[in-house]
Amino acid sequence: MSVAAIGADAHGGVDQLYVETRELRLQGFLLFLVSDCVLFSSFIFAYLYLRNSGQGWPPPGIQRLDVAFAAWNSVVLFGSGATMHYALENFKHGKFIKYMWFLLATIVLGAGFLGGQAFEYNHLIFGEHVTWWGSGIFGASFFTLTGMHGLHVFFGVCYLTVLVLQSAAGVYTRGKYFGITAGTLYWHFVDVIWVVLFSIFYLL
Amino acid sequence: MAVAALHSGGIADHIHPEPQGFVRRYVFSLDHKIIGIQYLITGFVFFMLSGLLAEAIRTQLLNPSGGFVAPGTYNEVYSVHGSAMVWLVVIPLLTGGFGNLVFPVQIGARDVAFPWLNMLSFWIFPVAGLMLFSSFLMGAPTAGWMEYPPISLQGAAGTSMWCAAIFLVGVSSTITGINFVVTILKMRAPGMTFTRMPLFVWGQFATAPLLMIATTALAAALAALFIERQFGVPFFDPTKGGSPVMWQHMFWFYSHPAVYIMILPAFGIISEVLPTFARKPIFGYKLIAFSSMAIALAGFMVWAHHMFTSGLAPFLQLPFMIITYLIGVPTGIKIFSWTATLWGGKIHYTTAMLFAIGFVGLFTLGGITGIFLAAIPFDLHVHGTYFIVAHLHYVLIGGSLMGIFAGMYYWFPKMSGRLLNETLGKIHFWLFFIGFNGTFLPMHWLGVMGMPREVATYDPQFTFWNRFESVSSYLMTFAILIFFVNVLWSIRYGKRAGANPWGARTLEWQVPSPPHYYNFKHVPTVYGLPYDFSQPLPYSGLEEELTDSPPPVAAGAH
Ligand code: HEM
Ligand SMILES: [Cu+2]
Repeated sequence: MSVAAIGADAHGGVDQLYVETRELRLQGFLLFLVSDCVLFSSFIFAYLYLRNSGQGWPPPGIQRLDVAFAAWNSVVLFGSGATMHYALENFKHGKFIKYMWFLLATIVLGAGFLGGQAFEYNHLIFGEHVTWWGSGIFGASFFTLTGMHGLHVFFGVCYLTVLVLQSAAGVYTRGKYFGITAGTLYWHFVDVIWVVLFSIFYLL
Repeated sequence: MAVAALHSGGIADHIHPEPQGFVRRYVFSLDHKIIGIQYLITGFVFFMLSGLLAEAIRTQLLNPSGGFVAPGTYNEVYSVHGSAMVWLVVIPLLTGGFGNLVFPVQIGARDVAFPWLNMLSFWIFPVAGLMLFSSFLMGAPTAGWMEYPPISLQGAAGTSMWCAAIFLVGVSSTITGINFVVTILKMRAPGMTFTRMPLFVWGQFATAPLLMIATTALAAALAALFIERQFGVPFFDPTKGGSPVMWQHMFWFYSHPAVYIMILPAFGIISEVLPTFARKPIFGYKLIAFSSMAIALAGFMVWAHHMFTSGLAPFLQLPFMIITYLIGVPTGIKIFSWTATLWGGKIHYTTAMLFAIGFVGLFTLGGITGIFLAAIPFDLHVHGTYFIVAHLHYVLIGGSLMGIFAGMYYWFPKMSGRLLNETLGKIHFWLFFIGFNGTFLPMHWLGVMGMPREVATYDPQFTFWNRFESVSSYLMTFAILIFFVNVLWSIRYGKRAGANPWGARTLEWQVPSPPHYYNFKHVPTVYGLPYDFSQPLPYSGLEEELTDSPPPVAAGAH
């Protein structure tokens, strides 16, 4: 399900109808995030289950993940959470130019995070200690979960890019900006998931 | 009328322009009632297909040495039978089907919150169903509807198709769940407070979060199984460090709540049919409503009662046994409320009522065997035998399917404008009732005697009862054929129903049959519970519904 799909029921005009439709869409979108969260939780359960199934962790022959690099990469992602927050706030207060800059900054930081992830994957797969998706339960859980998260970030970056174009075209007004709210919620959601993934893969 | 005024111009009064042309009206329709009927038709088509598979199973079991199909094929047949009945028949009929058809009108809404998503959700369903059945072409799954690894890892390509198909119906269910939750929270007519909602709405309200949350958990398990099969990524294969028991956890974390997805809406149907034909207010309205919510919540905490033989630590097993017992309490409360509703009522024995009463009896039996199974020592003895098959069919056929039939006889006049034939209906009921018990009652003692389920042959000492069951199952199938004949005949020649043939009191009966696409000319205001038969109807604003006055203007025309 996508935001666009919900948006297909949109109606024009800032009237009571719009306000109520927006409430519906907000609630629907939050519920979508809840079920997406369940999807992550199930894989997190699987990871913790496999991790505790006996051989010790990381399994024999696999190095611990590099915390320092991932920590810097996390800072980049959390920074993008902050810029996204300011983007929405500025939009609400009618500061359109600032909004656009913060939105662009979010996109750049999000893309930067993805670049960092690609670098880390490259290191893990082609570095000294070859690990890949299918090479064991470590690779299975690590690449599935971080990959799923990376895909979410990727979709987020695409969506925010669409937001930039739409905003430039004047789609959103001060009374009518559900698309931006949804984007912000989604982006914070992706951030929170990363806090959990970072803790259980790098710190635990 | 202050409440009504507050809503005017808002979503409650919002009307989409009537769609034009066959395709927009009946194929890619946005109207919840049409989508409901689409679900019902598609669901019943899949019901016939999986029914054929069931008869193949029973025909195989006429003889201890089988002989109707090869043992490998037999495994494919029961696996697809179970999967299709659960995901393509019972769940879609009860949620997408009756849910869409009935509850938006019952809460006084003009449609669901997201009509477009509703259409999407429906159209995913037949595609997924065809994918599931097409798995026969590439070697269908063979590990039963729960597809335990490692067998499901070794199965032919059809098992991956199975994963994809069930994943897709899951997406459809999730969308429906979100849609229904928002609709019930936000789209109720003025005055329709939570404690005035009809019990069918409560059933859907308890089910929708399960559709939304549990189904996503299953999606994760299916995705993992799929990528393990296709890309060799180890999750479940013990030789690569994975864990087959983990699949069981992930699967039952979904599938136990899923059994409530399959029964809570049926509880809702029964709770509408019983008071209508007993002409008595439902006994314990709040108890029924809240026990549904309690069951839905507790349903997430009992999954491991399917895994008592899977080597869980004993200190983990015990809480699961106790919580499973506790779930029996709200279930018992409901059975008590229904019985008390019947008590002293002026009962009209219509076909819908017969199915509802049959439901109460048979579901109780299934619930009692469920409590047996929750007892670990007993379960260790009968797990993997026909006793389980007996239990699950008493709750799923005696419960869910009887609920579906009750709903069909009850709401068919609302959707078509014509009554189903009552004589054929009663023949259908009695043959079905006898055939059903003949098929599944003996499975209790066969199971206790140790006849294993999901095996193509059996010990000759069980021959008599197996033949008895097979013959009874043919009777049951014949009864279902009568039902289909009845539907096809009544659509064209049935008695005209009028708006309210049963003298029922919920909102859907106060508008014409079938209702206009906008449901209500004016959104009604609600003043009380619908079930008090001695009082006038607790609605205002419905005066024009059955007159020829012009339809409301499409306010949001665009
Ligand atoms: C009073 C409530 C219930 C209790 C205590 C209960 C308990 C149980 C237990 C303990 C099992 C596991 C048996 C085993 O595999 O060893 C089981 C199996 C099953 N139950 Fe129930 N149950 C209840 C109601 C229901 C309902 C309402 C449904 C569905 C509408 C249902 C559907 C099933 C199914 C499909 C299975 C078999 C799964 C399989 O294929 O192995 N049950 N039940
Ligand atoms: Cu269960």
